[in-house]
Amino acid sequence: MNGQTSHQQPKDGRHDDDTALTEFLASLMDYTPTIPDELVEHYLAKSGFQCPDTRLTRLVAVATQKFIADVATDALQQCKARPAVIKDKRDKQQKEKRLILTMEDLSKALREYGVNVKHQEYFADTPTAGLDPASRDE
Amino acid sequence: MSDGGEAEGTRDEQNGSNLRSGDGDYSRAISRVAMAQICEGVGFEGFNESALDSLVDIAIRYVCELGKTTRFYANSAGRTGCNIFDVVQGLEDLGKPLGFTGASEVHTDCVVSSGAIREIKEYVDMADEVPFAQPVPQFPVIRERRMIPSFLQMGETPAFKHVPQWLPAFPDAHTYVRTPVWNERLSDPRTDKIELARQHRKAERSLLNLQQRLVCNGSSVATTSAEPCNGGNGSGVNNNGNLSLEKPLEAEDIGVSRVSIPPKLSSQAQTEKQVSLLETFAPAIEAMKDGLDSGSDGEKTFPEKRDSVFLELKGGKKVFGEPLDLKIRKAVGRTSSWFGHEGEKDDKKRRVEFILRQSLENQQELPQLIDNVVCFSPFLEFGGLVLEELQLEGYESSAMLQPHQNFLDSPLPQMHWCCRPLEPKMVFCEEEEETNMSLWRTQDNFLRHQEQVIKHATWN
Repeated sequence: MNGQTSHQQPKDGRHDDDTALTEFLASLMDYTPTIPDELVEHYLAKSGFQCPDTRLTRLVAVATQKFIADVATDALQQCKARPAVIKDKRDKQQKEKRLILTMEDLSKALREYGVNVKHQEYFADTPTAGLDPASRDE
Repeated sequence: MSDGGEAEGTRDEQNGSNLRSGDGDYSRAISRVAMAQICEGVGFEGFNESALDSLVDIAIRYVCELGKTTRFYANSAGRTGCNIFDVVQGLEDLGKPLGFTGASEVHTDCVVSSGAIREIKEYVDMADEVPFAQPVPQFPVIRERRMIPSFLQMGETPAFKHVPQWLPAFPDAHTYVRTPVWNERLSDPRTDKIELARQHRKAERSLLNLQQRLVCNGSSVATTSAEPCNGGNGSGVNNNGNLSLEKPLEAEDIGVSRVSIPPKLSSQAQTEKQVSLLETFAPAIEAMKDGLDSGSDGEKTFPEKRDSVFLELKGGKKVFGEPLDLKIRKAVGRTSSWFGHEGEKDDKKRRVEFILRQSLENQQELPQLIDNVVCFSPFLEFGGLVLEELQLEGYESSAMLQPHQNFLDSPLPQMHWCCRPLEPKMVFCEEEEETNMSLWRTQDNFLRHQEQVIKHATWN
């Protein structure tokens, strides 16, 4: 699979592509990813990525951020989807609960992405850790 | 549930372990902060530690995997430097398990229109910009390497012809050649002299202590009181071999009870005289001790108990008085000082021998004064040695130990006690006062004389 653009494209197409690409990269530079550039460069250098262009590192950073954001969003949905276990005695708001990123939500979300994260149960994060999953969910 | 993204969790690979172990804590900490910020942007209010750690791991793996894939594509194209097309292809690879978005356009020439880029674009447009919380320095920090200077830089010429000058220089000779190191001690003659004088003073003080103890013993015996002094006798202090001497004195016997003259010693007739002698000695000793102490360290130690052993060389008797060590038993508290001068023992021994020799030579000089010699030694061996020496020499009559100026370059005049057994007199001889010796008949006179002596005494 070649990374280079094919030469069969008509020139204007390529020209459009190039402009689009440059525009995209320029827009990328405006956006400051949450993941710092130095960190990304460090890990890219570790894996052999060699490119002096900072735009590419920004691209990788943005891509990673997008990935993590997707995973987190899924986990959030998992967390919200779970019915509230805590019931306030005052009965003010039954569904009120803090949105905490837990291992269970994360593992469920990651399973969609092909990451199999099994959490050790003895690593008790919550009071309900170690309980039967069925009772936990409902 | 998940909209297709290029996101793809890494399959468990063997590189997972080195990712975790190879990562420094610093980079992981930064990642943690970044992940937390992302989660916060998504909408989370909190997280479990383990969950965040897992997320950090996943993010790091994602970056590394993306880099690897990108490199792979670049290498496949025969390049070492990666470009955007490699990155996009890597992104698509990572997102493959999620399904293709715009699958038909994967191999399109226009990269921008690929699904991955499209999604990223959407993300960039949609998501809020949340920069990293803190400034991150460039890392890893490359430490400045200190190069070994070359021969040229050192200004040296290599010893061997085959070694060019631009090579690093050889280490200095002291790094591999072991030379003996002498512990040079600077000798200051002045401090040496001061130290010597101090030691002499100590010796004299010990001598005086012994004197006091002798006096104490004598006086206590005279009073014939079951004084506590006697108690000390029973306790065995040091029975040095040197003091074995000839007399088979028992430690308990000698004690202070008798004026410490064993039966073997001079006749009992002298006992009472000795007693009186000791009595006479007592105040003088104390006075001298005070004088000495004030001259030295100002330490004033008065013997509570009048313990003292009295060494006497009677005419015609070769047996010496009881060993000195017995006296030492008395003063429990003060013996400690006596045994601390181990280093000076040899010196003392030499001094003793010298004094004895000199006294023997000068015996004729002051015949009228010399009847007895009282040897006081701060050390057991010293005293024993003295006695032995005297006996070996066949010394039968008392001799006076003369002070000698030139003895071991000692700045101190040697102090000695001369005592006459038959008369309650005591003559205190000092080097400068030889001509002033006179026989004192009473204690008062003697005391007065002592005072004068003390005033004139020069101990340094």
